[in-house]
Amino acid sequence: MTVLGEIALWIALPVALWGAIVSFAGGRTGRGDLVLSGERTVHVLTLLLVVASLGIIAAFLGNRYEYFYVANYSNRELDTYFKVAGLWAGQRGSLLFWTLLLSGFASIAVFRNRRRNREFMPYVSGTLLGLLCFLVIVLLFADVNPFERMGFTPANGRGLNPQLQNYWMTIHPPTLYLGFTSFAVPFAFAVSALLTGRLDSRWIAVTRRWILLSWFFLTVGIIFGMRWAYEELGWGGYWFWDPVENASLLPWLTATAFLHSIQIQENRGMLKVWNMGLVVTTFLLTLFATFLTRSGLIESVHSFAENLRIAYIFLGFMGGLAAFSALLIVHRLPSLRSENQIQSFLSRESAFLFNNLLLLGITFAVAWGTLFPLITEGLFNQKINVGPPFYNRVNIPIGLILLALMGIGPVIAWRRASPRNLRRNFTLPLGAAALALAVLLATGVRHSMALATFTTSAFVMTIVVAEFWKGTKARARIAGEGALRAFASLVKRNRRRWGGYVVHAGVVVVFTGLAGAAFDTAVVQELAPGEAVTVRSAFGNEYRLVYESLSHSRPRVAEDARENDWRWTALMTVYRNGEPAGIVRPERRFYPVMDQSSTEVGIVSALLEDLYVIPSDVDLDSGSDRVVFEVKTLPLVPWIWSGGLLVAIGAVVGLWHPAPVRARIPRRQGVGGPLPAGAAGQMS
Amino acid sequence: MAVMLGGILLAAGVMLFILEPVFSGRGAPLYDGVDDFDEGAARRRVALTALRDLEYDRATGKLDGTDYELLRSELSREALQHLETSARASGDPAAERASRELESEIEQIRRALREGLQCGECGHLNAFGARYCGRCGETLAVRG
Repeated sequence: MTVLGEIALWIALPVALWGAIVSFAGGRTGRGDLVLSGERTVHVLTLLLVVASLGIIAAFLGNRYEYFYVANYSNRELDTYFKVAGLWAGQRGSLLFWTLLLSGFASIAVFRNRRRNREFMPYVSGTLLGLLCFLVIVLLFADVNPFERMGFTPANGRGLNPQLQNYWMTIHPPTLYLGFTSFAVPFAFAVSALLTGRLDSRWIAVTRRWILLSWFFLTVGIIFGMRWAYEELGWGGYWFWDPVENASLLPWLTATAFLHSIQIQENRGMLKVWNMGLVVTTFLLTLFATFLTRSGLIESVHSFAENLRIAYIFLGFMGGLAAFSALLIVHRLPSLRSENQIQSFLSRESAFLFNNLLLLGITFAVAWGTLFPLITEGLFNQKINVGPPFYNRVNIPIGLILLALMGIGPVIAWRRASPRNLRRNFTLPLGAAALALAVLLATGVRHSMALATFTTSAFVMTIVVAEFWKGTKARARIAGEGALRAFASLVKRNRRRWGGYVVHAGVVVVFTGLAGAAFDTAVVQELAPGEAVTVRSAFGNEYRLVYESLSHSRPRVAEDARENDWRWTALMTVYRNGEPAGIVRPERRFYPVMDQSSTEVGIVSALLEDLYVIPSDVDLDSGSDRVVFEVKTLPLVPWIWSGGLLVAIGAVVGLWHPAPVRARIPRRQGVGGPLPAGAAGQMS
Repeated sequence: MAVMLGGILLAAGVMLFILEPVFSGRGAPLYDGVDDFDEGAARRRVALTALRDLEYDRATGKLDGTDYELLRSELSREALQHLETSARASGDPAAERASRELESEIEQIRRALREGLQCGECGHLNAFGARYCGRCGETLAVRG
């Protein structure tokens, strides 16, 4: 199977090359046979990449350590579960997996548009196949071939990084990759619109849901990543401004900007060049994130090692794509002129534009911080890393303004808002914010950023709730419906708008959760079995943790056989304000093959806070059962996950927005033939 | 050997499937039979949606009378303009239906406003048949 997979990858190269050429040629010359051949190529390529991916998975399952990639990311002791996930455990497999997902999305796009949007399709297939062709070339020739064999077969592999041996490993990377790869489709439609010159609102209508889909996957992927860091990295945080995290945030930021600015184009015919630029930038950032995520450039920052060649190839390709897209946009500038102008600073357009500028501001700051070590190395031959303080100082204030805009945007009038309009809509939320501030101050909260976040959150949440309340009430009265039915039909009639409000509500909850970090408490104490530690949370809850016992895992097979991991598990009973609140089993693990240890934290979640137990130090050698525990209380952390869920629900509501209803053309015609008069001009 | 044979068969199958359209002359359509996307209709739908949201904004008291009248006249003009361009382009029954639904919803809200459901004084939206405002007690006048 593995050899067949390798053959499939080699076949994929000429196939992708052929497909890209004939698709563009078919579109250019009006030959339907070439276009059909190109579209078939997309599906064939997906099939070939499935075979190639199965080949790698088979190599993992069959312990084929003659393959360099398998030997580096697996060993005999690894669970089957992680062997399958080995496909995306390292750079080589990740690239193959990325290529497979991109091809899958290309197939879906081609299939869904087999009888509509036909003038776009040759260039859409051509662009997607061009991207796939590039990726297959990289896979085969840039020292990242997952099928590369070594000259010998080791008895066992090096094993999987312990931090990846967690169930999130099977969920988080694929979700994020789905977000990255699906964005190639809107990019291909944008390129196609530029090439055909059909720059009316059609390409937007076609790609809008694709972009929301990508945004959904990116959002969920990022939240899964935070949860993974929270559970697995064992320091009580969820976001460290690590370059890899940043890389996934960058396309999310620009995609978010696009989802807002596209509404200005739809409603007012403005910002056409800007929106084109955002689609291209977002796609380029997904490419950037992809090659940064698994070694390459990023590992050079941390360890001066690895394959820098691929980083340069990707950077070159991204540069080429950026230049090509910029040239196309400049070429079509006359068709991308704005139809209107912003009439007033106090308008929804202006709020959206401001939101875009702030999102791009954060994008720039995060990109700058991520690339800063490389820039300083290039200029001064000295790497200077910027840490969380830099990101927090820059991004928290911008984030707070964005948060406020999430409330202002939905209620401020389009075109121009009068002072009366502002008074009508902002009196209640401003009152709620003032009340929240007063209550917080009265309860002794003095942390300025937390105060700002909670107050702004109260402002935005009041607006969102009031919007739903007023909308439902109006609908009930006007249509004579009951409250529930009125609510449902309100949402159904404009899913994008109301879905967007749910997303805003979710983001408010996430922000509130993030601000909870200002009130973390922690205690570090060494305990023997039977002893207890007490910690008090910011909400005034007193937690008492009794360390009951420590259990040791024993080798499962013969004494000399190597285990994947050895475990020391502490058992602790937790009491909240004297009442039993659960049991935690924090754990230290040692991975003999990798010679690494890791921590599995114990978490007790409540509505308002998490109790987080880290076994910081276990004496692995002496057999003593004394353990150093770090016990933290993390206020409002559960809100981050519930907020994330709300954001995801909102995105799904928006995704259900029915696609524009269109008449379909009859089934496939005999021969494509030349374009009819009138349509030919669109193909210039 | 078997694997090599599998590989050759795979390559042959792939080639046959991809090249078949070129040899047989079968082609994919290069344009939509009917131009299934009517720019005028799409713009009109956007204008009508904005108009519908405006009516809701008025009904929920987010906009006062003056702001509402001003924006309403602008949006109505745009919707009408796109109706004219759309009428000249090829008709799409589904798109037309969507627009008609929006229009009837707008009319429904306007009627509610006209029939005095909303208090001209405090903006409160009253139940059908009410003669006095449930919030401020003002007589509910039927507006033109």
